[in-house]
Amino acid sequence: MYHFIGIVGTNDKKSTNRQLMQYLKKHYAGKATVEIVEIGDLPIFYKEPEHRIPAAAEKLAHKIEEADGVVIATPEYDHAVPAVLSSALAWLSYFVHPFVDKPVMITGASYGALGTSRAQSQLRQILDSPELHARVMPSSEFLLGHSLQAFDENGDLIDPEVIKQLDGLFADFLIFVKYSTKLTHTTEQNKKDAANVNWQQSDH
Amino acid sequence: MKLVGIAGSIADESYNRKLLTYVASHFTGALDIEILSISDVPMFSQDNDQTEGAPIQYLKRKIEEADGVIMATPEHNHTTTPALKNVIEWLSYKIHPLMNKPVLIIGASYHTQGSSRAQLSLRQILEAPGVGALVMPSDEFLLANVRTAFDEFGNLKDKRTIKFLDAVMGKFTKWVKVLNAMKDNEKKAAWEQEDLTASHPTDTTIDVPMDADDWVEQGATKTNAASGSDYVKLDRGLLTVDQLNWFLNTMPLELTYMDDNDQFIYYNNFLDHDEMLAPRYPKQVGSPMAACHPARAVDHVKQVIWALRNKQTDLIKMPVPGNKINEKYIMHCYHAMRSESGDFKGINEWVLDVWPTVKDYLANTGQMLVNDPNAKVDASASASVKPNAKPAADANASASVKEEAAQPAAAEKPDSGSSASVKS
Repeated sequence: MYHFIGIVGTNDKKSTNRQLMQYLKKHYAGKATVEIVEIGDLPIFYKEPEHRIPAAAEKLAHKIEEADGVVIATPEYDHAVPAVLSSALAWLSYFVHPFVDKPVMITGASYGALGTSRAQSQLRQILDSPELHARVMPSSEFLLGHSLQAFDENGDLIDPEVIKQLDGLFADFLIFVKYSTKLTHTTEQNKKDAANVNWQQSDH
Repeated sequence: MKLVGIAGSIADESYNRKLLTYVASHFTGALDIEILSISDVPMFSQDNDQTEGAPIQYLKRKIEEADGVIMATPEHNHTTTPALKNVIEWLSYKIHPLMNKPVLIIGASYHTQGSSRAQLSLRQILEAPGVGALVMPSDEFLLANVRTAFDEFGNLKDKRTIKFLDAVMGKFTKWVKVLNAMKDNEKKAAWEQEDLTASHPTDTTIDVPMDADDWVEQGATKTNAASGSDYVKLDRGLLTVDQLNWFLNTMPLELTYMDDNDQFIYYNNFLDHDEMLAPRYPKQVGSPMAACHPARAVDHVKQVIWALRNKQTDLIKMPVPGNKINEKYIMHCYHAMRSESGDFKGINEWVLDVWPTVKDYLANTGQMLVNDPNAKVDASASASVKPNAKPAADANASASVKEEAAQPAAAEKPDSGSSASVKS
């Protein structure tokens, strides 16, 4: 069974994105293990002159390194991913490279109708940067709109259509992860490239 | 034109800050560009709202006071920096200082790309509804290969780059002017124009530095002011300056004169600072209003002065927050002073505790205070400032005036001794 890291892309205690991640963990318990991780303790990213990253980021990087894939649930603030998430991803690509060729599934929940569509496309672009070089599952989007009304008291998604869509995407992700393990011919090179994107070169 | 610059980096060394510094220095004389630090801004969190904290309030005030904003962004992971995004989240959560603010995006990077993706994503962020900035379209100033771009004095080396920067900045200043002209037409919140910095000298303004501790002495020399036994002719009477002082210093209230240039020019100095209901120091006389109030009170002060200046009302009365029922009732009153022809000539502020008077009255008439069961007390209704003015021109005042002032009067019985001691 695959082991995934589920990143809650916010430090908001009441976020429905955490609820979504908890649902994923519970609902797919028979298909994969999802270890939910928080990023709220990480400081705002800055270029640490000695190239050190916070211990919590180090730990997280190690977990991602060991995992078969990563699921991210992102809110949307100001048409983009929250600073706390982009900051975490910056730490996770600052002289560490756990995301290189790592399969990633992006999800997101929002109170409004659009379900974080803009944040997700920005997150895709971020994960595609050479420093991160993740393998984001293509042609897939899980946008949970009106998220405050989406869960019942047990934390389960209510709308069967939504569950069906998520089931389909998750089944696809399992296959995507499986095939991804075979796409290894460039992984060594990609890791080297990521390490070569010297942060000092990409400006302070 | 006043602009502020924000570099999207919190690293000790930043080429984007260097670029902003160059821009500020290159346009000295033509533009006033102040570079703001974002290093102290905490991580955005809805569970730990820091909107009222100093780092955010500082940025809010600086941005609000500026005609436009220049943001210089590096590129991290194909996007703008978490630090800059973080600042924008604070500035779009409970407060919105970037709303309708003209913004120019520039950026520097080590590579040929010059932060192109970061600029695009920053533009998208700034245009989100909660932010609402007016980002200048079309021109992108992307400074590539930044490591070799500056000489040892921090100046850009390449003449063509400088020329392009000049063109972009020229266009941006037009962008700012056009948008701000549109804004002036909206004429919302007219009171915001009230100038607490006392920068509009009038025919009585004395040419002495307003912040001088001895403003009074310097001014007296300069104007050859009457003093001591010199006579002053008044409406209606004739007093020496000494007599005038004896008279004013025995008034049962604290009097303050603010002139029509929003300058504090007199108070009746008969109590020490610590004994005053509205504490003042002798050296404060001469200061502009802006120097007499904390930043959080500024809006209210402006509203009060604006309302009086523009004849929306002649008198504004407000109790200070924290008055204790049946112990203290300190009132601040602001009365517009006008010349015979009706021109605004300043504000007569008096401060007094009216409770002793009420107490005397009760004692001498054998009455007591009781709760009015029908009362819908809104004590702040006394402040007759019209549109959105909240009463609070005093240093202690805050938005909470209303709640605190609105407590029902006389919750407890006056002590029986005072009502029993009626003479008759």
